[in-house]
Amino acid sequence: MDYVDSATLNRYVTGVKPLAVLSLLLVMALYMLGAALQNSEMFGHLYASLLVINVLGLVLLLTLILVNVYRLVAQYRARVMGSRLTLRLLGMFVLLAVLPVAVVYFFSIQALHKGIDTWFDVRIEQALNDAMTLGRASLDAVKDDLAQKTRGMALELEDRPDKGLVAALSELQDHYGLSEVTLFAADGKIIASSGPAALGARSLVPDRPSETLLAQVRQGLMHAAIDPAGKSGLQIRVLAPVHSRAAGASVRILQVLQQLPARYSKLGQSVQDTFGEYEKLVYLREPLKFGFSLTLSLVALLTLLIAVWAAMFSARRLVTPLRDLAEGTQAVAQGNYRKQLPVPGNDELGILVTSFNDMTRRVFRAQNQLKRSQLEAETQRTYLETVLTHLSSGVVSFDARQRLRTHNVTADQILGTELGRGDGRSLVWIADTYPALAPFVEAIEAGFNQGRGEWQAEISVLGPAGRRVLIVRGTLLPGLTGKHGGYVVVFDDVTALIQAQRDAAWGEVARRLAHEIKNPLTPIQLSAERIRHKCMDRLPDAERNTLDSATRTIVQQVEALKAMVNAFSDYARPAPMQVQTVDLNLLIRDVVELYKGRHNPVRMQLDLDADLPTLSADPGRLRQVMHNLVLNAADALAMTEQPTLYIDTRRVQEHERVYIELTVRDNGPGFAASVIERLFEPYVTTKEKGTGVGLAIVKKVIEEHGGQLRAENLATGGACITIRLPAGAEAQAGEPAGELKEKSA
Amino acid sequence: MPACKNDHSVRPSAARRARLLGLLLTLSAATAHADFLVQDVQAQFTEEALLLDTRIELALTPKTEEALAKGIPLDVNIEVQLIRRRTLMWDKRVADWVLRRRIQYHALSNQYLVSGLHPDVYDLASFDSLASALRHIGTLQEASLPLGKKKNISNDGDYSLEVRVFLDLEALPSVLRPVAYTSPSWHLNSGWTTWIVQR
Repeated sequence: MDYVDSATLNRYVTGVKPLAVLSLLLVMALYMLGAALQNSEMFGHLYASLLVINVLGLVLLLTLILVNVYRLVAQYRARVMGSRLTLRLLGMFVLLAVLPVAVVYFFSIQALHKGIDTWFDVRIEQALNDAMTLGRASLDAVKDDLAQKTRGMALELEDRPDKGLVAALSELQDHYGLSEVTLFAADGKIIASSGPAALGARSLVPDRPSETLLAQVRQGLMHAAIDPAGKSGLQIRVLAPVHSRAAGASVRILQVLQQLPARYSKLGQSVQDTFGEYEKLVYLREPLKFGFSLTLSLVALLTLLIAVWAAMFSARRLVTPLRDLAEGTQAVAQGNYRKQLPVPGNDELGILVTSFNDMTRRVFRAQNQLKRSQLEAETQRTYLETVLTHLSSGVVSFDARQRLRTHNVTADQILGTELGRGDGRSLVWIADTYPALAPFVEAIEAGFNQGRGEWQAEISVLGPAGRRVLIVRGTLLPGLTGKHGGYVVVFDDVTALIQAQRDAAWGEVARRLAHEIKNPLTPIQLSAERIRHKCMDRLPDAERNTLDSATRTIVQQVEALKAMVNAFSDYARPAPMQVQTVDLNLLIRDVVELYKGRHNPVRMQLDLDADLPTLSADPGRLRQVMHNLVLNAADALAMTEQPTLYIDTRRVQEHERVYIELTVRDNGPGFAASVIERLFEPYVTTKEKGTGVGLAIVKKVIEEHGGQLRAENLATGGACITIRLPAGAEAQAGEPAGELKEKSA
Repeated sequence: MPACKNDHSVRPSAARRARLLGLLLTLSAATAHADFLVQDVQAQFTEEALLLDTRIELALTPKTEEALAKGIPLDVNIEVQLIRRRTLMWDKRVADWVLRRRIQYHALSNQYLVSGLHPDVYDLASFDSLASALRHIGTLQEASLPLGKKKNISNDGDYSLEVRVFLDLEALPSVLRPVAYTSPSWHLNSGWTTWIVQR
């Protein structure tokens, strides 16, 4: 059975209307049954059907009630909310209903039986019997008299031939005052008749006795009886054999009908009717009691069942709102504030339920507001976090007691810290954990202690990647109670900015120097050569040698100066980029291949990422970068035993952006401490012959490609330069590559 | 010349017509059959009617006799159904009749009155004894059963009669009916008997 059918069945079993209609029908059927019992013409023929309908209806009603009781008991066992109270109320209601019905039923049965018994009286019965006996005696006297007369008439007719019998019979009829006189042959055929029938009064056929009577008379017996089947009421029928004296003649049969006088007939009928009714009543006494008792029992049973059903309905109706309230309370306790209960009516329970609904509605509204506020706060927080995370500035906030509250990722990146571990710690913790940040902590403490709303300081901290210049700004946060609610410190790493300014200044210096120096060099060189040419032959040998040596020196130094100026010029001169897709691994292999020779003692070891993405770059400039780095390393490894250069590439993904990271490291002495901070500045070198622009050019090219580079000394010895370039077309964007993380220094 | 033959294939009454109260009293059916017995039925087609001769043995139980003696009228119904027998199809009921007879005791005259329960026809007979009265009821002589609209009786058709006789409990006084329904003594029923109409 599907859900719909099940719900429909449930409605029929527990619903009010089906039971009410059934009860009403049963009451009507019982009324008709009672009416039929009292010989109602209307319902008498329906008695059996009504009886069956009532019994079946009661069985159905009983079944419905039993199903309801069974369900209630099942709910009680399952400890369903409200079932105990329902059962208790039901028991009470049923007791209240059953007791009066039972008492009324008992006394009604008693009264009914006694009432029926009182209808019958022995004296009346005796009187009726006496009346009947009297009536019979009176009629018997008349009957006997007529029998006597008939016997005489039969004797008189013995010798009469058939001819003229009608007249004889008519004479006899007149003489004795009879209603009808008929003479039958032995086979029952009418020989002659005299009477109203013969005269055609109502029927042409004389009254004919039954075959049984004729047979009886044929045997010579007389028959005399009161015949109630007469057309005009009671009559006396006498049949007598009419023997013939002629030998061989058959017996004829004389029938005499004597209508009783109207008064006799009326009285006789009255006695018969009354006696008959009384006899019938006496006979029906027990069935009557049975019938009435049955009807009364059915009525009592129906009353009882309806009372039980009404009790069930009332109990359920009374308990339902209470059960709903209990369930509603439980639901609210479990956090379901949407619970709304059906209002049972306008009584006190209805008011209670309405109040409950009002309460849950208000609570639900408040809860919704709270949730909305929380959501808004959460959204605000997420927004702030997102903004802070994507800020290029580091942000750190402190509470009123100068304890670390929040920070963004950039703060950790700039400071090279993990401030997340220090949430709730004081500034002292930062200074203790990261001693290099002492100037940073001091600046903040100083700012806090000033007590001003805003303050700013520029500090320099020493990190693993060298010295970094930070601009730190502090602000007091507003509090709830008028006091300040803490501090927020925002700082920027301006090292790169300062470096860029310095690079720009150096480029300008180099360009001007190259321009100013290069111009006089050619005349100097030409002049020196001219002097040599003009004076060489004129001078004596000793002086000729001196001139030759001096002019050659001048020319050589001018050439050297030209080379240096050209190098500076190359550094400073901006050139257009020839961008194309570059496979860095292939480019590295090409460059390294040039240095694999007998004259190069440095061993090259490559560890190139096979999945390295391509990048958009100027391959000529990148080739220059690689040349500069390899040459730089080769110079640094000149005094190293088993000099080895490691070149690695790998793919790095950071914040959904992909980079190519190139690492070039050696096992040499590493960068000198005196130059490491200014390694990429022009004219910074420890080499005797170097111009100092090699690494500066490297840095310039990498930054032109939107990349970053970092130089450091490895803990295991040797120098390491790490370059990060954006993969794919991003190189053209010119955006700085992701922050290079510090390696172990 | 009609010749009727009893093939003794008495059908169970409950199978033919399950009366409402028959459900309550199936136990009484066996004893009731013994008291009413259709002994012989003969039938003859005329132009517009079926002429019926019957010999039915009717005997009352002591309970019913007592009720009769106490003035309760008893109705005896003779049900007749004309069936056309068909070979390939179900048998077809062509017509049916109910002959109602009422027997009543007249205390003043000590006579048993038998009436035909036809309001238009005066059909009242009195008898000295109950046996005579019952014999009168059970003996039909050329009782005319009108065919009415069922005149199209086929000359070469094969017809049979279903006859049964029973005491009509529904005609009893309503007070007595619950007792009659629940007592086997009141269940007088011959059950259906089949009689082939031979031509």
